[in-house]
Amino acid sequence: MKKRRLKVMAASAILLTSFVVLVLSMTKKESMPELTPSQLIVSAETLNNQNVQLVGAISEGSSKWDAANFELTFAVRELEGSEKVNIVYNRLKPDNFTDGGNVYVEGVYDAEKNLIVATDLQTKCASKYEEAVSSDPASSSLQQY
Amino acid sequence: MWIDGLLASIQGVTPELGQAAIWVSMFSAIWAIAALGIGLQLKKIGLLKSGRNAVIATFVLISIATGALIFGFVTDDFSLRYVVEVSSAAQPLLYKITALWGGMSGSLLFWLWLLTVGGALVVWQNRKASDTLSDYALIAITIVQLFFIVVVTGAVHGVYSPFERYANGLVMPDGKGLNPLLQTPSMAFHPPTLYIGWISLTVPFAFAMGALFSGRIASDWTLRSRRWMLFSWIVLTVGITLGGHWAYQELGWGGYWAWDPVENASFMPWLLGTAYLHSVMIQEKRNMLKLWNILLITLAFQFTLLGTFITRSGVISSVHSFAQSDIGWYFLGFILASTAGIVLLIVYRWQRLKSANRLESLLSRESAFVLNNWLLVGLTMIILWGTLWPIISEAISGEKATVPESFFNKVVIIPGLLLLFLTGAGPIISWKKITLNNFRRMFVLPIIYGLVAAGVAWLFLAYRTYTINVAAEEDMATAVSDVATPNFFVQVWESLIFKDQPIPIYSLLCVFASVFVVVAIVAEFYRGAKLRTKRQQTSFFNGLINLIQRNKRRYGGYIIHIGIVIVYIGIMGSKGYFLLESKSLQLGDSMEVGAYQFTVENTFREQGENYDQVGIIVDVEKDGKHVTKMKPARNYYFTAGQGETDTIESAIHAIGLNDIYIAIGDLPPNLDDGGLVNVQIYQNPLIKVVWIGVFVMVLGGLVAIAQKHVHKSQEAMA
Repeated sequence: MKKRRLKVMAASAILLTSFVVLVLSMTKKESMPELTPSQLIVSAETLNNQNVQLVGAISEGSSKWDAANFELTFAVRELEGSEKVNIVYNRLKPDNFTDGGNVYVEGVYDAEKNLIVATDLQTKCASKYEEAVSSDPASSSLQQY
Repeated sequence: MWIDGLLASIQGVTPELGQAAIWVSMFSAIWAIAALGIGLQLKKIGLLKSGRNAVIATFVLISIATGALIFGFVTDDFSLRYVVEVSSAAQPLLYKITALWGGMSGSLLFWLWLLTVGGALVVWQNRKASDTLSDYALIAITIVQLFFIVVVTGAVHGVYSPFERYANGLVMPDGKGLNPLLQTPSMAFHPPTLYIGWISLTVPFAFAMGALFSGRIASDWTLRSRRWMLFSWIVLTVGITLGGHWAYQELGWGGYWAWDPVENASFMPWLLGTAYLHSVMIQEKRNMLKLWNILLITLAFQFTLLGTFITRSGVISSVHSFAQSDIGWYFLGFILASTAGIVLLIVYRWQRLKSANRLESLLSRESAFVLNNWLLVGLTMIILWGTLWPIISEAISGEKATVPESFFNKVVIIPGLLLLFLTGAGPIISWKKITLNNFRRMFVLPIIYGLVAAGVAWLFLAYRTYTINVAAEEDMATAVSDVATPNFFVQVWESLIFKDQPIPIYSLLCVFASVFVVVAIVAEFYRGAKLRTKRQQTSFFNGLINLIQRNKRRYGGYIIHIGIVIVYIGIMGSKGYFLLESKSLQLGDSMEVGAYQFTVENTFREQGENYDQVGIIVDVEKDGKHVTKMKPARNYYFTAGQGETDTIESAIHAIGLNDIYIAIGDLPPNLDDGGLVNVQIYQNPLIKVVWIGVFVMVLGGLVAIAQKHVHKSQEAMA
């Protein structure tokens, strides 16, 4: 009986260890910093040529679509601030891509050009229309009109 | 018009009626908990009946509130903040109604309403039996309801009531409208199916809590909640798939799953529910895993709430992240408080939760079930780890980090393939301990078929590589004339060993395991049907039908397993072998993707109820022969207060089991005069197989749920 229990425990331990090793090694390999524009600019040198994820808002008036080269260029700004990072993206502009809209961008950062060549660009979807809850519904909603 | 006057009068009071109904329901829920709790302690039938009636009353009150809000949407009551946020006058009626769950306040009310439906159904199911286990379960359900009632009242900070009016009698001229992306049929059904799936998980959880409250830990709580659990699993399967289908059709990126935190939040309870559906059979059959089952169903339930914390608290970045508020933290608080309560109950019932039997061998059906559970729970934890990595990394290093989609794809593949193998091995391995005879009789044939199939797949993929290599080398020879054409045999050999590229080992393992499972399960059906045919002197077909009818749970489970194999094959093809080309084209220009040629022929313009659709007509040819015409477009919505919003409207054409998928960028005004339109074309192999596989899974689930009663003595193992 004891031997059987030992076997079960050993098998469980092996399985658990394999899981943990797999997850930790993959996390180490795939993990990338998630930053706002100001955080990225501050750490520009150390993050040069690295995969990063940038979170912010589409800078108003910055987006340009070069149809001939299938290239979208725009800047991501701090949600509350002026620091910006430039983005180049060579796929279709996603839905909900509007000035001031929240985005997150994944790609390799070029510190010299303050530019991310994006491999993934996603806008916040579904309830972007629904505002964050404020204490004064009347005033906050009226701003939309 | 008198009808307008009448509507205005009703509009004047319905929000207040709805709000009042929510407040009163709080008292009925409290009364239900108190009456049932005291009634069970004092064994007072009158109190128990009163408690059950209070559960029904809560359902009626929340139905009134939900109806009042729908009335507000249908009649465009723009004095209500919530209606303004997610609806507009021009919105089609269907989307006015589905706007109920288009934002936070309404979706919480809808969730609560479904919970009260669950409570009322448990009362109804128990109307004749008067079983105290159900009364204990009702207490647990009502506690969850009470949490939602408190949140929906609007009295807690950070969440406004769906019936909140603007100050000073202000009425907005129009609403902002539901997000155009949500104005699709699949999005009309995806959220409610997910909600129904999550909420029906509450009932088995409540029965588990009932078992802990009452001390009746034996299998009757699992039997009582079996059909609820299966129902939840089926609906969650449909709900998750509808979400993927919506993403595929609407978002224009040609995929259906991206491991987004919200997708993960819906998938994790499904994985845990699947684990529970398997382990509960071990409890019924061998009186083992009692504690494990309680923990599993508790986790599955808690994970439905965790999703709300993830999406609403703002701690995780997600494309889905909804309006942020304190609600996520209330959910986290409820999860922690309920977990503390459950842990105390488990400690209190510790002796009764001990298993009567133990595993006798690592190579047995019981062990296969346990391993299946380990893998499913392990997968859940991996996905949770990846989803919460931004929080974990920040806690460890002080810097927020995230993992991309590729992390999930890489970490789930090995456990996923092991699970696939178990889908076939579990049903054919013998109980207690595998014997040589069992191995020879049940395993050898499926293994041989699996190996042959993997060999054929190797050749097929090598041939695919060969054709790609030859095409590339021909291009090179055309471009640089002095490059010698490689020897044919060298080309074949290099393709067979996948030179300069990774051997598609996971695809081969997937094919091996899939064929192994199908052969193992078909053989199970065949053996059983043949036996019945012989015993009953009937046709093989009748024998097969009779076999399934006699044990719907077992054979329904096998059908689900076949469905899972089909889904795996679909995922392998569509995720592993899709083609994508992007190009800027003028009218009359062409591009090639795989074997197909696409030519932009013309533009078109159509008008919908609240949008204009503008797109291009693309002619598709293969080897010079016309295949079809496709119409990718963009929809321009005219919604009040938002300016124009446009969405990609992909064109999808099925060719056999594969799809051709076209999405386009903004159409330039000068398209007729040489302007360029951006075209993105995908060839998605075997994508239809994914949807077919889910259909088979659901079919199997419906067969399994059709079995009304399961007795411990009955052979019930899938």
